[in-house]
Amino acid sequence: MPKPAIAEAASTLAVVALSNEPLLFLSADLKIIAASTSFCRAFDIDPLTIAGKHLGALGGGEWAMPRLASLLNATASGSALVEAYEIDLKRPNQKTRLLVVNAQILADGQIDNIRLLLAITDVTEARAEARHKDDLVREKAILLQEVQHRVANSLQIIASVLMQSARRVQSDEARGHLHNAHHRVMSIAAVQKQLAASEGGTVALRAYLQQLCDSLGASMIADKDRLCITVAVDDSVVEADVSVSLGLIVTELVINALKHAFPDQPSGTITIDYHSDGSDWTLSVRDDGIGLPTGRDAPKAGLGTGIVEALAKNLLAEIEVSDAAPGTSVTIRHRADTGRDADLAPAA
Amino acid sequence: MNNGKTVVLIIEDSPIIRLGAIELVRSAGYEALEARNADEAIRLLESRADIDLVFTDVQMPGNMDGIRLSHYIRDRWPPVRIMLASGMNILEESSLPEGSRFFAKPYSDHAIADMMAQMLSETTPQPPSQPG
Repeated sequence: MPKPAIAEAASTLAVVALSNEPLLFLSADLKIIAASTSFCRAFDIDPLTIAGKHLGALGGGEWAMPRLASLLNATASGSALVEAYEIDLKRPNQKTRLLVVNAQILADGQIDNIRLLLAITDVTEARAEARHKDDLVREKAILLQEVQHRVANSLQIIASVLMQSARRVQSDEARGHLHNAHHRVMSIAAVQKQLAASEGGTVALRAYLQQLCDSLGASMIADKDRLCITVAVDDSVVEADVSVSLGLIVTELVINALKHAFPDQPSGTITIDYHSDGSDWTLSVRDDGIGLPTGRDAPKAGLGTGIVEALAKNLLAEIEVSDAAPGTSVTIRHRADTGRDADLAPAA
Repeated sequence: MNNGKTVVLIIEDSPIIRLGAIELVRSAGYEALEARNADEAIRLLESRADIDLVFTDVQMPGNMDGIRLSHYIRDRWPPVRIMLASGMNILEESSLPEGSRFFAKPYSDHAIADMMAQMLSETTPQPPSQPG
């Protein structure tokens, strides 16, 4: 064994040897005083060959990296600090390993007794895994965008077919049905668009219902000076599936009001109002039109009414239709403490 | 130069959507031209001088997508009004040529027709023969 200038404390050597993290204990001229067993195991170095060897002569010479040597020299002279320095360890017939090196100077004041402690972490796998995760997240985002793009295109195809059919049919009634189908497709599209933009599976209702009504207004109101839709919604945020049901209810009620409430009125307003208090909420769609016809003129319940009833029931809400004088108001009300709720497990 | 009708060029690779756009343009009272991609559109723009507005899809097969095409048209035929539509609803407005309008698919025929009328009235020089 070559003679070290000053004998190392046995305890220091033991600490180095037993370290779980690969460690090298070096003299100022980069000769190995001790290496941890973990270092020898991790980098295929025979523990019996290392004592007194220069760092650059370890193994097959793969540790003879000029940049590492100059950094360690600088650390030994106190002019630099190697903190989380990344190096590539290249060995013949082996995959290059990415190492993170930390070097610490250990000096007790004596200029000829400077020691370096080198901690080496192999981050090859960790980095590859992180990169893989990033790739997956990116791929998923691209895939999601692609799906949304296709859904939008498919909805455009359906909307186009419905509009082309509506232009061709002779019967006013059939044309009305085709236009309604078109409005419903547009409203589903608005719903879908909002869901695509929503994060964490929740939807802010104000922006959502506003967009929905803009879309309905754009496709159904021919004279925008005559009829308008106003949206008054508080800051409520709801689960995505609840927002879909609420959106479809609003669609049906607005279509209904636009079709029936203002036959000859010079102007009219439809107001959508939603507010919540805890888990209680109220949605109302009100118009200032002719009001509900009664008696023999009362229309029989149509498809729209059926849809609204089914969706309200699904949301455990009650429907109330009332005279808004002038016009009609439809209110969908959910009360958390109604008896029916007791049958359901609370959501949170 | 033309028969007095406003001419709208529709660029869309999906035949059904293209058909719908043609009908929407015709019902609005304009003449409709159609192209399936940017190359066909450029050939049409080069062959006739009476195209007032292009309405283009964004994602299309071929050398140019609708965004590149719209910039190309803005550079080479500056007076032509440009409208774009795409299923990608998150689109940087700044990536489009100035003065162009973007619609997310599915678009409403009314909204498209309204915007066409507005754009065509905004910057069209008044033809002298127009009845008062």
